[in-house]
Parts: sequence; C-alpha cells; structure tokens
Amino acid sequence: MPFLQHLCQLLYDSRIGTAIRESDNAFPIIESVHVLGITLLAGTIAMLDLRMLGAILREIPVRRIARAVLPLTWSGFVVMFISGFLLFWSEAAKNYTNPAFRVKLVLLILAGLNPLIFHTGVYRRAQEWELAAVAPWRARVAAIVSLTLWSGIIVAGRAIAYF
Amino acid sequence: MHSLFAALGHSALGRYMQTSVWGFAVVEAIHLLAIAVLGGSVLVIDLRLLGVIFRKEPARILGRDLGKLLLGSLLVLILTGIAMVSEEALKCYFSPAFRWKMALLVTAALFYFTLHRRALIHADENAVTVWSKIVAVISMSLWLGVGVAGRAIGFL
Repeated sequence: MPFLQHLCQLLYDSRIGTAIRESDNAFPIIESVHVLGITLLAGTIAMLDLRMLGAILREIPVRRIARAVLPLTWSGFVVMFISGFLLFWSEAAKNYTNPAFRVKLVLLILAGLNPLIFHTGVYRRAQEWELAAVAPWRARVAAIVSLTLWSGIIVAGRAIAYF
Repeated sequence: MHSLFAALGHSALGRYMQTSVWGFAVVEAIHLLAIAVLGGSVLVIDLRLLGVIFRKEPARILGRDLGKLLLGSLLVLILTGIAMVSEEALKCYFSPAFRWKMALLVTAALFYFTLHRRALIHADENAVTVWSKIVAVISMSLWLGVGVAGRAIGFL
C-alpha cells in the first residue's frame, strides 16, 4: 500500500476519525461550517481580484483593499483548513481514491502558488499602479487565475460527495 | 402556494432537474459560487458599518459597488435556487428548514433595501454609531441565518 494511502487509512481508523464519521451530527455541522466559511475565504479573495480587474471599488487603492481584506482571508483560511481537515479525517481512506478530492488538492496547491508569484512579482511595485482603475496585465492575469482556481476548488470540493 | 410548488415540480424545468444526471450538481455548484460572492459582499459592507475595516473609505462607494455584487449574486442564487427547488418541490414545501430559509431571505432582503441602505448613507458622512453597528449585526445575522437554514434543508 502506498505510504499516503496507508496514512489515510490510519487517520480513517483512528478514534477521532471514527467518532466524526459515526456521530449523527458531527459531520453535517462541520460541513456547514466549511460551506459557510467559503464566504470568508473565497468571498474576500474574489473582492481583491475583482478590484484589480477594475470591476469594483476603482476609487480605492489596491493596497488599501488588500490590507482591509487580508485578515479576513486568513481567518477564513484557518476556519476552512481546520473544518476541512476534520472532514478529511473522517473520510480519509475514501478521499484518497476520490478523483474530485485529488483535483481539489492539486487546485489548492496551484492557488497557493499564485499569490506567491504575485506577491514577489508585480505586487512589489504596487505603489506605482495601485491608484489605477485597472491593474497592469500581470496583476489582471493573477486575478483571473485566482478567480478560476478558487471557483474550481469550490466546485471540486462539492463534487467529492458525488464520487 | 401548494399548487404552485406542485406545478414547479411538474414543469419542464422540474422534470429536467429530476432526470438529468449532472443537472442538479451543476446548478448546486453555481449556487455555492454565488454564496461566496454574496457572503463576501455582506461581510465587507457590514464590517465597514461596524467600523472594523475601510474606516477611511466612503461607505457610499462600498455600498454602491458591493451592493451591485450582492444583488447580482442574489439574482443567481434565486434562479439556481428555483431550479433546485423544482427537483423536489413538494419536499421543500413541507420542509421546516426551507420555510425558515424563505422567511429569513425575505426579511434579509427587505432589511437590506430599507434600514441597511439608510445606515450606509448615514455612515458615509458620519462616524460609526451604535445604530449603524446594530444594523450591521442584524444584517450579518439574517444572511447567516439564510445560509444555515439553506444548509439544513438537506438534513431535516
């Protein structure tokens, strides 16, 4: 058995994993938190992306929006990571072979790389362009990639239940 | 009202949603994406009313642009919502969670177009007041309630 699959089976068989799986309410409650947490994480990411595309809040400098929204995005990330990991814990052995789950993980890694490239690249000179109604093309590409990846993550996440 | 739901269930849309393999899944995924946008807009507008973020930015600009996002995503949510209801219309009609969701949705929308709007206009020229804070908390609670009740339709 591959190492990762073995690890998933261990999590699945563990006391906490089993307890979440066998409880009547634990999974639906954690799942509801996970679904509503989308708002905090993806909702706030979308806001910054839409600003860089010039769709909303053109009058407000990009960095001011980033500063206001980033703490929300990070708290959303914490909520999503904890609730997501608990859901995974209870289903790990099944998730391992689930194609939607695999797609979601790949998209999550890509969605993590995107801001790394953005923040070490065009965003470092943000003071030069943050007042413009529409951001330069590199920032717009990052915004479109971000919107696409996060949409994909939400759709793939929902699809886990269908496989 | 009962006959309206029955008719929706027997409509072409309803029959499509009941028989299509991926129809429901696709519509539900779009519903989820729109939740992210609506929730994000509500959150940012109400945190501005609370004076937590964007304190120096005009509430008018936030209310105008995020209000457009909110209404746009609300339209998507209502359309995809109708399609989802048509898949099991009578089950929804009798579901307490669904009734709660509709009641909260109507309240949240009415609140948004009336007191919430006034609070935003007021907040534009003035410092944060207790009144605007109360409006923000009510608004967030109502929309959260819509979401929680919506999620509960699948469980109850």
